[in-house]
Amino acid sequence: MNSREPSNDFDKELRIHLELEAEEQSGAGTSEREAKDRARRAFGNATIVAEDVRAIWHPRWLEDAWQDLLHGLRMLRKSRSFTAVAILTLGVAIGANTAIFSVVNAVLLRPLPYPDAGRLAIIWSGLGDANRAPASRFELFEIRERTREFDQIAGIWVTNGALPGEGEPEQVKVGVVTNNFLPLLCARPALGRFFAPEDDASHAPFGIMISHGVWVRRFGSDPKVVGHSVRFGQGSAVVLGVLPESFRLILPGHTNIPATVDVFYTVPIDAAEPGGPAFLHLIGRLHSGSNFTRAQAEADSIATQITSWDGNLAVSNFHLFVFPLQADDVRDVRATLLLLFGGVGFVLVIGCANVANLLLARATKRTRETTVRASLGASRGRLVRQFLTENLLLGLLGGFAGLGIGWSAMRAILAARPPSLLVFGPVNIDARVLLFTLGLTVLTSVVFGFAPILSAGRVDLTQNLKEMGRPAGRRMRRWTGVLVSCEVALGFALLCGTSLLMRTFVNILRVDPGFRPQNVLTFKIPPPSYGMLHQLQQNLAALPGVQSASAVSHLPLDDAANWYDYYWKEGTPTELQSTVMADHRSILPGYFRTIGATLVQGRDFVESDDATHEHVAIVDDVLAQQLWPGIGAIGQKLNISDSPKGPYQFQRDWVVVIGVVRHIQCHSLTAMVRPQIYVPFQLAPRPMAIVVHTSGPVEGLAESARKQVALLNKTIPVSHVAPLSENVSRARAESRFASLLAMSLSSVALILACIGIYGVLSYSVAQRTSEIGLRMAIGARRLDVMRLIAADSSASVLLGLAGGFLLSVGLTPFLKSLLFGVTPGNPANYVAIVFVILLVSAVSSSLPVRRAMKIDPLTALRHE
Amino acid sequence: MLILRTLLTGPTHGHAIAKHIQRTSDEMLQVEHGSLYPALHRLVKKGWISARWELSKERKREFKYYRLTPLGRKQLIRERSKWVQMANAIHRVLNSASGA
Repeated sequence: MNSREPSNDFDKELRIHLELEAEEQSGAGTSEREAKDRARRAFGNATIVAEDVRAIWHPRWLEDAWQDLLHGLRMLRKSRSFTAVAILTLGVAIGANTAIFSVVNAVLLRPLPYPDAGRLAIIWSGLGDANRAPASRFELFEIRERTREFDQIAGIWVTNGALPGEGEPEQVKVGVVTNNFLPLLCARPALGRFFAPEDDASHAPFGIMISHGVWVRRFGSDPKVVGHSVRFGQGSAVVLGVLPESFRLILPGHTNIPATVDVFYTVPIDAAEPGGPAFLHLIGRLHSGSNFTRAQAEADSIATQITSWDGNLAVSNFHLFVFPLQADDVRDVRATLLLLFGGVGFVLVIGCANVANLLLARATKRTRETTVRASLGASRGRLVRQFLTENLLLGLLGGFAGLGIGWSAMRAILAARPPSLLVFGPVNIDARVLLFTLGLTVLTSVVFGFAPILSAGRVDLTQNLKEMGRPAGRRMRRWTGVLVSCEVALGFALLCGTSLLMRTFVNILRVDPGFRPQNVLTFKIPPPSYGMLHQLQQNLAALPGVQSASAVSHLPLDDAANWYDYYWKEGTPTELQSTVMADHRSILPGYFRTIGATLVQGRDFVESDDATHEHVAIVDDVLAQQLWPGIGAIGQKLNISDSPKGPYQFQRDWVVVIGVVRHIQCHSLTAMVRPQIYVPFQLAPRPMAIVVHTSGPVEGLAESARKQVALLNKTIPVSHVAPLSENVSRARAESRFASLLAMSLSSVALILACIGIYGVLSYSVAQRTSEIGLRMAIGARRLDVMRLIAADSSASVLLGLAGGFLLSVGLTPFLKSLLFGVTPGNPANYVAIVFVILLVSAVSSSLPVRRAMKIDPLTALRHE
Repeated sequence: MLILRTLLTGPTHGHAIAKHIQRTSDEMLQVEHGSLYPALHRLVKKGWISARWELSKERKREFKYYRLTPLGRKQLIRERSKWVQMANAIHRVLNSASGA
């Protein structure tokens, strides 16, 4: 029978052994007692042997570790200020990393919440200079016919629509989708069914799917609504199904598709109208055996086939681009996030350097303890393990603090995050973030613990006993100097990036968007009749405090679905006709005056510019300069897309240019995306945004504006009532976010560097008290003392500045895509940063230096 | 290795192993008996020998018997060949040195 506790039965084993041995010894005529003694002597030290046997089965390290832990706790409790500073430093550094990583995790690492998310692709079409454009129904049809790499290709376009239902009418986002779109992104509906191919048939009843939100809000979560007819737009529709609560559309930012779309209906895909409008954003799912390289190769060949298919399309350089959906989704925010992640890594290194410095100073103070323990027989490994345990303990406490700080920092980041980050799923501290924080904690404990362990590894007994109590000098100071240099260098690089981002933000604040965002109230309504719209314009303009009122189909810097199409001037050869695109906007007369845009040439629209008269348009100066440089645009003929027969009934049309307006920043404040073409509402009825220019603040106006709409037609829903200035601040949000976060990171870095320099100098002053005393006793002036101490830090600060400069020169080019109006290598920037760092180091060294200068030679020498 | 070699002749208990090693090495290895036990336990932990309390037939009392496991047997053969190789090598070196 194998005994379960081999170390416990050793006692029995020992007893038997001694008895046997004693028997043997007693055979030679000795007394029983003497025999026992001899047996015991032959055996050796039984206690040690028993302990050794025990150690074989119960490893000693566990016990040792427990002891080390208790000892470590005692040591940490003994020096409270050290512990507090170290834990706080680690907490801030680890916390900042946790917070940023939680965002990186949610946006870049977590897969999209769709079935087979890794196989989802977005397919952009490109014609001429536009390479991220939607596709037409015809193109989708052709791609579907030819593809072998995709098992599904679906399309979506989002517009506005009205959901009258019961009670207040509501304007909602409406998704026009192919019947296979929703099943591609959603495993199953919460209620009812998805669209089926039969729903596309012309005789099929008009069916819609609704979001969970609408189901709760408009239909009181009634499951019986499925299969029933509800009011939708001008008519009615049958609710086929309800989408799950968690369903969100996560598509690239400039598709202008919001995360929540409330109503979906289908658009049939057939080979009709080869020259039809391109409005569908295509999502495809690869076959399980395929990959993106093969899909792109296939797309290239399909594009060539479509190009050569028919001259009718006037397509000369049609392209298709296939990207992984997730990669395309994060395209705009990736750089910002990675940059912040890098920056926060710097903060972590600075924090580690700081704690290493503190530990070094403490290790020197503890030389006596180490030496005594070593001389009492503690092995070097045992001492190193003891230090490691203490550091790990410190690290874990820091990690805990970091988790707390990280959580609150994450909340703060969430509050400040720009819309481009909002579409991604929830940002939280999940298992992966926890694992990251834990890993970071262990890593930092090892890294910052490295220095003191090195010093403990080299315990020189006699030397230390001789110097008992006096800290070992020069070598340690060199170490701390190097650490300070590192901190300064990293702080320099962080400041450099931050200043560039802040200047970018300031430049963005200064951008003239081409209109005046102040004192303009906006709200949206579904496609109105011209008569009603005209009446509303007049009624609103008559309100007290209103200067003027007008309407536009697409507000500048708005997130609504865009309208853009090809244009060409008279005499353009067929193969060049569909090559350049412009944003198209439908407006009422007075729009430019109301939002403060500048008409540089020609005239505004008037009421009589309708379908029955000569078709006219206004273009922006970019387009005018492009098509008719030097000639002037007024009176020129332009081929555009409009829809005089009704909303979205697109047709090609020749119009005469009657005015030129200064370009309005429509998509971003920093980039000119496309030129603009304006047509009168009568030529292109659409859902409209009403703009009202007031003489004072716009806040009071919202209610009376709603009332004016209700007076004309009670069933028209009014939505998105907001000042126009909101659009502008939303457009600045990303830059504000990046510069805000960078600023917080550099502030933390600067404070940590301050603590670092302060700590090192205080330590050095404390260490050299007697030396300074001696120097003063033999005639050094206070100024000499100051020079002595300052020299200590300035060497490492200067070294750090040089290193930081090199680091910045190497790293700032990576920032380029985030900058606007500044160049990375700006010399003024560098000068400012050097100045800031010198100032900071001067401030943080002033206290220790002053302390050194106040040293009284008498006391200092007696101290010895 | 000495312990393994001792157990090759059959299972036995601690005291007997100590005596056996003492005898066969012509009293040259005078070790304290106590140092044997940690070594025994270490071998048990490695799985080279197994331990079990058994009634001795002649003495009518329980002893903890150690016996070689197949793993231990293999280990013994391996170590033994290593020893022999080394001894041979030393032997050759000594002989050639004396021959020169």
